This record gives sequence, C-alpha cells and structure tokens, in this order.
Amino acid sequence: MTADAETAGPPAAGAAVLDLGDIRITDSYRVGPKVARLGHLAAAGWPVPDGYAVTADALGRWLPAAARAELARLFAVPSDAPDTLHRLSVLAQGIIESHPLPPWLAEAVEQAHERLRQRTGRGQRLRVAVRSSAISEDGASASFAGQYATFLGVGDVADVLRRIRECWASGFTAHALHYRRRAGDDQLHAHDLAVGVLELVDVRSAGVVFTLDPVTGDRERMVVEANWGFGESVVSGQVTPDQWVVDKASGRVLERTVGAKQVWSAFDPAAGGVVLAPLPADLAARPCLDDDEVRYLCAKAAEIEAQEGVPQDVEWAIARDTPLPASVFILQYRPETAWATAPDPDPAPAPAPGKAFDPVQYALRHVFKVPGR
Amino acid sequence: MTTQAGPRINPVDDFVRDELYPGYKQDFGSQPFVAGPVRPFSKADNARYWLRDSLHFSEGMVPASIATLDDAQTWGAQLGAEIVGVPPTRGSVNRLAGTHVYIGTIDVDTDWQIQSRANRFGEYVGPILADFDRYWAMRAGELQSAYDHFDNLDLTGMNPGQLWATVKDAYAFHRRAWFIHFEVMYVLTANYLAFYQLAEEIGLGGSVVSALLAGEQTFYSKTDEELWKLAGRARDLDVTAPLRHADPADMRGQIEALPKGRTWWGEFEEFLRTYGWRMEETCRVDTPSWVEDPAPALYTIGTFLSKPDSFDFHAARQLAVAERDDQIEAARRAVNGSDLQRFNEALASNQAANFAWWNEEHNYLIDRRAAIPVRRASLELGARLAAEGRIDRPDDLFFLFKPELFAVMEGGAARWPDLAAMIPDRRAYFEHWRERGPELPTMLGTIPDVVPDPIMIEVFGLSGHFLETLKRGPADVTELRGFPASKGVVEGVARVITTVTDISKVQPGEILVCGGTTTEWTPVFGIIKACVCDTGGSLTHAAIVSREYGIPCVVGTAAATQTIKTGDRVRVDGRQGTVQVLASQVS
Repeated sequence: MTADAETAGPPAAGAAVLDLGDIRITDSYRVGPKVARLGHLAAAGWPVPDGYAVTADALGRWLPAAARAELARLFAVPSDAPDTLHRLSVLAQGIIESHPLPPWLAEAVEQAHERLRQRTGRGQRLRVAVRSSAISEDGASASFAGQYATFLGVGDVADVLRRIRECWASGFTAHALHYRRRAGDDQLHAHDLAVGVLELVDVRSAGVVFTLDPVTGDRERMVVEANWGFGESVVSGQVTPDQWVVDKASGRVLERTVGAKQVWSAFDPAAGGVVLAPLPADLAARPCLDDDEVRYLCAKAAEIEAQEGVPQDVEWAIARDTPLPASVFILQYRPETAWATAPDPDPAPAPAPGKAFDPVQYALRHVFKVPGR
Repeated sequence: MTTQAGPRINPVDDFVRDELYPGYKQDFGSQPFVAGPVRPFSKADNARYWLRDSLHFSEGMVPASIATLDDAQTWGAQLGAEIVGVPPTRGSVNRLAGTHVYIGTIDVDTDWQIQSRANRFGEYVGPILADFDRYWAMRAGELQSAYDHFDNLDLTGMNPGQLWATVKDAYAFHRRAWFIHFEVMYVLTANYLAFYQLAEEIGLGGSVVSALLAGEQTFYSKTDEELWKLAGRARDLDVTAPLRHADPADMRGQIEALPKGRTWWGEFEEFLRTYGWRMEETCRVDTPSWVEDPAPALYTIGTFLSKPDSFDFHAARQLAVAERDDQIEAARRAVNGSDLQRFNEALASNQAANFAWWNEEHNYLIDRRAAIPVRRASLELGARLAAEGRIDRPDDLFFLFKPELFAVMEGGAARWPDLAAMIPDRRAYFEHWRERGPELPTMLGTIPDVVPDPIMIEVFGLSGHFLETLKRGPADVTELRGFPASKGVVEGVARVITTVTDISKVQPGEILVCGGTTTEWTPVFGIIKACVCDTGGSLTHAAIVSREYGIPCVVGTAAATQTIKTGDRVRVDGRQGTVQVLASQVS
C-alpha cells in the first residue's frame, strides 16, 4: 500500500487503512492533517504513539449507495434553523446507526489492528485512542477543533469498529452541522473525515505547549499547560491546569503556577475508557511536571515550530515510570490559530461549563470569609 | 473566666460532674479522638457556648448510647471537619448535663490554620461537587452493602465468639457511617451556603434559597407516601377502626380479628421490610426500630385516617414542586446579566448536590439506621447474659458503657457482678434526667454575640437574633421573631411538645410549638396548621417539611416553648417570621 498510487480516482480497497509508518505529510488529504503530521514525525524518528488511519475515502463510501443517497437528499435543502438542524441530525444518525461497517472495511481495520498489536508487543492488552481526523480541520478558513468525537482507552477490535463509525457519525450532530454551516458550507453534504487509531500511551501527565504566549501573542515566551492523566482535561478546558511560562531563548522557567486541579482524565476500567474523574487529593496540589520536563517539552516544541515556520500548539504526553526523554510522546501539533495568519480566529473548543460561579471559591471568600481569598 | 457585665452566662455549675454516670468516668484515650470526647461539664466550660441538642436527642442518653454519640456527633464531626478542611471549625464537641446532650463548636482561631484548611477544602470539595451523584452513589452503596450484611445475620444461631465479633463489627460500622455523614454534610453545606450568600449578594435574599431546592423525592417522603397508601388500603379493607382508636399494643390483634385484617397486616409487614429499618432518634441504641415496634408507623397511618377528606399527598407534593418552579422563575426574572449567569450556575450546582434533599435522605442510611446493627447484636448478647444470670434483662446491657462491656467480654479486669450491681442506679439516673429534660436551658455557658460557624447558624439557627433573644432571658413578651421558613399566615390553638414521644397528643388543626423537629415528626405535618420552633435555620427539618406540606413555619425563635403554653391562641406569620400570642391560657 504505497501512498502515491491513489492520487486520482476512487481508491482501491487496499488503501482503506494506512499504518502510521506509511503515512507522510502528503497524505493529509485522506487521513487528515492531524494524523499526517504524526506520520511525518514518526518517519523523522520522533517519539509518537504508533497506530493506523482509516482514510476519508473509505469512510466516504462505507455506507451502501442507497443510504448515501438518502443522506445527500437530507442535506440538499440549505437551512440553518436550529430545529431543522436537530431534525436532520436525528435522521442522519438513524441512517448511520442502522448500518454496520461493511466487511471489506471491517477486515482491513482488523488486520491493521492485529499488526499494531504485534508492533507494540502489547497483544490483547493493547488499548487505543480512536480519534476523528477531519480533512479540513485546522485549515486557515475555519477550525473544527472539538467538533468531532474522540474515544480513549478502547480495548477490543469490535469496540474499535464501533467507535470508528461513531467518530464518523459525530460529523452529523446538530452542533457539527451548525459549525460547518457557519464555516461557509452552503450545502450540508457529507463531511470529509478520517479516523486515526493510535496506541494509548500509559500517561502520567499530559498537556499542551504553546510556542508563543497565547494570551499576549509574545513570541519570546512559551507556555506549558498540563494536568495529571490524559490531556483531554486540559484541551477541553475542564480544569485549571498547572502552567509554566518559559523564556524561549534561554529555556529558563519564568513562572510556575500550580492550578486548582479538581478533575483529571483517567482510565476507568469499569467504564472501559477514559473518563473525567475527581483528582485524588494528594495529586491536586502537586505540580504534574518537573522543570527538566518543562524545559525538554519546550525545546521539542521549538523544534517543531522551526520546522513549520509558524507558532504551534503541541499536544504531548509523558508516560508513567519512564525516564526522560524516552517518556515524552508528541500526540499532535497544529498552527497556533489565534495569533497566526488565520483571518478568522475561531476559538473553537466547546465552552467549559460553570465558569461564572465556583461554589468552592465563593464559599471560601464569602461564607467562611477566609482572608485573602 | 472573668465575669464582666457584658456577656450573659447560664452557668454550667449545676451540671458539673467528674463522672458521666454513677460509677463511670470517661477514660481518655479509649477513643481515637481528633479533638475531644463526650464529657460531663466542667467549670471551664462556662467560657464557651453550649446548645442543647434536643433536636437529635430529646430524652437523654443511656450509657451504651454515649459510645454511639461519641462516634457520631463528636468523633465523626471532628474527623469530617478535619478531612474536608472546613476553614472556621474543627467540628462539634459534646457535653452532657445529666444524660442530656449539649453541642459546642471548636473554632479555628489562627490565620495559618485557616489558610491551610482553606487550601485543603478547595482541593477536597471541588471534585466531589463536580461529580456528586457518583460520589454519593459510592458512599450510599457502601452503607447499603453493610446493611445487607448486618440485617441478614442469623444472630440466634451464632456461637459466642461469632456474636461478640458481630457486636464489634457493628460498632466499627457505626463509626464509619458517621464519618461519611459529616464528610458529605460539610461538602454539601458549603455548596448550599455559597448559594445562600450569592442570593444575598444579588439581592434575592438568602431565605429564598432553600425553597428553590425543595420538592425532591427522598426515601422518607416515599415512606410517608407508602404509609398514606396503607391508610387508603385500610379504608378499602375496612380496618380503619383499630388504627384510629386502639392502643398500639393491641392494634395487631384487633386488626387481624377483622375479616380482611390479615390481608392488611401482611401488606403492612411487607412495607416494614423495606421501610422499617429506622429508629425514632439518633444514636439511641435503647430505642426500637419500626421492625421491632411499628407503633410510630401505625400512628402515622392513624393520623392520615383522621383527616380523611382534606390531605392529599400527591396534590400537596405537586403543589410544592409547582411553587418551587414558580419561585425559580421569579428569581430569574429578578436578576440580570452576569448575576443571572451566576445564579443559574449556583442553582445548577445545588440541584446536582442538593443539601435540602440530602438532609432528609441521609437519615434513612445513617442517622436513624446506623445504630440498629449495634442494638440487635447487643440485645442478642444481653438475652444470653440474662439467661446465664449475669444481668437481669437483655436491655440491661445498654446501661453499661462500651469500654466496660469490652473489658468484661475480652478478659479485662471488670467483673460481671460489679457491673450488674451498678445497673439499677444507672436506670434510676436515666429516669431522673429524662424527667428533668424539659426544664433544661436551651443554652449553657457564655452566650456569644456572634457564632462564627455558618453551619451552626443554618442548621441549628444560631443567628444574631436568636442569641439576642436568649441573652434577654425569659421575658413576658407577646411577639416572637424568628426565621421565616415557610410562608402563610394562620391563627390557631398552640400545642407545645418537647419530645417526639408526645407527638400523639397533637390534635388536627393545632399549631405545633416545639424545640425543633426531626424526621420522626414528619407525619404530624399532615395534620397541623403551622409550626413554630425554638431552634433552626433555613436548612432545618421543620423548614423543609413545612414547605412541602404547604403550612406556615417560623424557626429559630429561641423562646417559643418557654413563651407559649398549650392552649394559647397564636398567630403565625411565615413570611414575616413572627409569632404573636393573642390570648394566653395562663390566667
């Protein structure tokens, strides 16, 4: 399965799934830039989680022709009314849920998953992240970050298949439809979405490095935001993370702020996946990185920025019980949209709930009247 | 202790003792205390304030109940406050006047401790409030699985070693249950009080808050509804006469003598299997559960039957819920912009982690139930000891202190004849103090100008006004002021009740005047016209239940039971928070 055989025309069945090692930056148009960049890093010898991708072409034709025609009819009428979008969404989800993935696609995924089990040496214990990877995501005209589904900690192949289909279906939620309408999609046709399936790193701490100060735009400073556990709690805005400000030139840590970390994203064996859970009290008050780790992450992010030529957000994870630098994994990176060239700096991530009133801080200040709160 | 002209003191001197009971001194170190165990009053206690807790313990404590009190309101509260990190208080501490319980607080008074507790508090409480359903399900599940264990033990079939192990397990469980109680209570009261203060800040007034959180179904409201249905079944099956008129002791015989009586009694027993695991008071191992003695449940059914035409359980509940929703809408219309956003978020936080609901719900799992395993295992042990001639009757065991019992059972120095010899005196001591209960002051020690612990203010009602009234002392007044707990204005005849065991004296249409109410008082709210209490704030049982039953209620009046006499004609204004004596019975 070479990359350049499919530059035109419908892809052959064999190209439905690509191993990460075979993915290059030029594959963005079929695996999405998120996964393509990971393949690019892997080829350059960077530590990234191994995995595979289901291409947008394959997902674009997994539904039987009749069902695809039905979806196309649904979205032939342009409308932005919320109730219409909701109704369309319900109808679309119904069509999608009534069809299992076809055997040609299921088999390709099963084979790729088996290869991944062997490469990682984890066999049946392998757990993966199943991530939506939009072809147009992070593009200059609009950011769809956070609009599509991601599932962490998926174990067996049947669940992987189910989650792949759910990722694709997440392009038809009313929220996603509305988003695409705003982004200028006149006709609400089916979306171009690939899915990445990546080995789940046994994460101790995770977060984001901004290669500029995301608040002021100051390019001399880098900012690290992080929490214990998987990075989802940080990128979804569900936690006030630990924060470090680092001088880009010297690598010196200028500021350290331990966040009021109340929750974390942790693997829950009962739920069979990663869930948002209360952070154990002994971890909450402790910074989740040491200065060496902060400096190393910033150095790596600066390398990525130099390679890309514009400021970047770099998502990373640090594996448990592994010495630096082998512990550091780069999960994805993308141009820093707010201060970069994008004319429409849409902040994108879903708004975090409950920002205006924090009962705990309010009680400390106004009920218990603790001085200085 | 200086005696200045300023603070009023109700001296504790009359109650100062070395011993908790004749022949027993609390052995310091017998319990793993965080701050301090249950003790008799000492002279030094004159410098602190002590509130009589007739809310939870109206009749006094037998020696065995002092161990359960130690685990509950003393140790449990202290450990809960310590672990949660409540900034201004290290929990409550108890003293006994005779056998009666007074509660005090342990204020945190250094800046460093307050700051370090505030840090801990934020870390501990935030995640719990963010995911309260799951957290409470975990704690409730732990408690329920313990009950599944204890309730199904075949105590009579156990050998002596197994039975003694069960007694010890039951005590250990009781202690654990009470840590859970205070852990959850402190977390939820913080959430509630934040909402209360926000409502004050944005001009709604804190007193509306508990009404906005009312109307949620609890295990006890389900219990009352089931009793109401059993009253309906009693009409269907034509067994109402004994329920309304018979002495509880003969009720079963009289009911079963009726043609369909056995059917009804069978349904009643089915009810008890689910809802009967409750005692009438907290920590009182000397009192039976409904499973043992269902008289309180039968009384409630009789109460429902005595008002056949008026009270409709469903209608009252629906009305309460509709009124709550109206009040929420009215509150939303009254605030704008960022205040509205904060209000909505605070409301959502309190709906998800609702103290008004939990305050009633937890009684079934903790307050009224946690001591039942101790009681059942102790009674079986007592029966065997009585059969061996060591004690006269099974419940003699409740007149031994837990350390005495453990010492004699585990080969310590104590001997049965010495212990048994003290029991008659201790029974007399308990009876003596039970009779003196109603005359004990609401507060002992130094009545403060202000109580810093917001929990004492909201749960026990120690507001500035309350303290003022107490300082003035008994006075010939015709108007009392308190917290406006449930709106409406009515006039009627007062019935003053000081202990829940007298509850059957209340007649339909009377105005209940009492120290404070707990879950066991709930049935009476179906027949009374209004409720007036000495103690209590916005969160107390009487406030919450009055709203659900749609009757006016004023709490925290400080002196209602001393000012008002049974038979007085009074006017209760639940919106203004006033109670007027219109015509006194006393000539």
